[in-house]
Amino acid sequence: MGTILVVAETQKGAIREASYELVAVARGLAEAGGHEVNGLVIGSGVGELASEFASKGAGKTHVVDDAAAANYNVEIWSKAIKAAAAATGAELILISNTPTGWDVAPRVAAGLDAAFVSDIFKAENGEGGFKFVRRIFNGKLGAEISSKGQTVATVQPGAVSAFEGSSEGGTEALSSDTSAGVKFVEIKIAESTGVDLTKADVIVSGGRGVGAPEKFPEVIQPLADALGGAMGASRPVVDAGWLDHPYQVGSSGQVVAPKLYIAAGISGAIQHLVGMKASNFIVAINKDPDAPIFEVADVGIVADLFDIVPALTAAVTAAKG
Amino acid sequence: MKVMVCLKQVPHQDARLDVNADGTWIQEDNIKFEINSYDTYAVEEALRLKDAGDAEVVVVSIGPDRVTQALRTALGMGADRAIHVKDDAADAADALGTAKILAAIAKEEGADVIMTGLMSDDGNASAVPPMIAELVGIPSATGVTATEVSASSIKVERELEGGAYEVVELPIPCLMAIQTGANQVRYASLKGIMQAKKKPVDVKTLADLGLADSVGAAHNKTSTDKIYIPIKGDSAEILEGSTDEIVSQLVTKIKELGLL
Repeated sequence: MGTILVVAETQKGAIREASYELVAVARGLAEAGGHEVNGLVIGSGVGELASEFASKGAGKTHVVDDAAAANYNVEIWSKAIKAAAAATGAELILISNTPTGWDVAPRVAAGLDAAFVSDIFKAENGEGGFKFVRRIFNGKLGAEISSKGQTVATVQPGAVSAFEGSSEGGTEALSSDTSAGVKFVEIKIAESTGVDLTKADVIVSGGRGVGAPEKFPEVIQPLADALGGAMGASRPVVDAGWLDHPYQVGSSGQVVAPKLYIAAGISGAIQHLVGMKASNFIVAINKDPDAPIFEVADVGIVADLFDIVPALTAAVTAAKG
Repeated sequence: MKVMVCLKQVPHQDARLDVNADGTWIQEDNIKFEINSYDTYAVEEALRLKDAGDAEVVVVSIGPDRVTQALRTALGMGADRAIHVKDDAADAADALGTAKILAAIAKEEGADVIMTGLMSDDGNASAVPPMIAELVGIPSATGVTATEVSASSIKVERELEGGAYEVVELPIPCLMAIQTGANQVRYASLKGIMQAKKKPVDVKTLADLGLADSVGAAHNKTSTDKIYIPIKGDSAEILEGSTDEIVSQLVTKIKELGLL
């Protein structure tokens, strides 16, 4: 049987949790299909991290250790992954669906003329390829995808539990061209503007269903105020310029876990769910009974938010006396 | 400078999604289509390059007759001309097949800058843009939220996680996959729409691009076997009744949480 190559990502001097989730997917496939699992670590001064990856589930781990790779670079990474695929004869290459993964993985697939499937949360061995399950239409529908031949797949972070076993294999230096036309300049962190949703006990968030910018102060904010909480929003609201970025809840905004999260007119795209699904109690209000937000909600109301939210604001205000 | 923008026409975000008879895609009859939301930001970013200097903006789309509408909208916004790949075999291509078509056009056009959206609202794959760059042999950046163009390079900001951005400099020629919210997208003006009627739309087939024997369903490396409405499992308890009844149940829940 062939090899499954698992590409690690490092963050703050450690291997990311998501990389061990890739190991779990690879080990699951290898158990049923008899594949060998190999790792790949790319960076500068990453020898020890590679040893750790090799011993914690990735097995034999290939290392591209070069000062030029100190920061992520799409060209260096795509060449290194293609080189590792050639060295291992990998049938399947697993990469996390992170800003790094979605930047590099499709390039690798095109370069190898291999099948590509992204953001999967389940994988099985198939006939001459693999079978995957993922979501489409912003989470509204599921899809079963088959691949033929050599396959590159990206895995949704958090979709499976990280591998916690051990493995043997050691590390091996991999020679790969580290020249690149793309130049890294810097990492910028968005300036804080005082909206810190992570400290709120109650968050009332509005989505595209709120319909217009003026409806946020008119309808959403009053409920947040009545409950002594804060107002949030989903990405489309911020993209449209209705509210500023600090209000955005989701993977590219704030990740929150309040005691009560009320989602009004939010369909529940995965990038929003990642930012709020750890909340203690979730109430979802949406006109569409098939909206994915209802999958993570504790309580759902299939109705127009403009009927429910003002009435709830009045009832909460009355209950406080 | 020649800027090529790839755009996809997708079902309207509020369209009703029903699974088709063979269970492999949605029922596309009688639903509204629109330009993929991410791609509208790519069109806008390209038009800003044109506004700032002397760029020619060429919009490209693959699909059946209905795609003409999306191309006309982009021309109405200010793009100079359009290429419509109209071929059933092209419509059946997977992501890599689609990228091969767009890469062939990029080479034929000699595009200096290729702009796309980060992903499509239907397939959500984020697959095609970096593939085009790899096939053309140029650098790429995805999730781009800001661009600063100089004579031989473009400095871009890429959105990472949790409010962080990576700044990188791409030598021209290059490809950028634009994130939503990168700019404020303009509307097509009435004058723009009138002018768009006179702008050229070239229709091409796979044979015109020399791809008739390498792109299409028979050459796909991935296939969608089944799509389905996810089973909700142990999901939300749905509150029913009149607005007053629902609100009263909610107030009880909020009291139980100790928040009232």
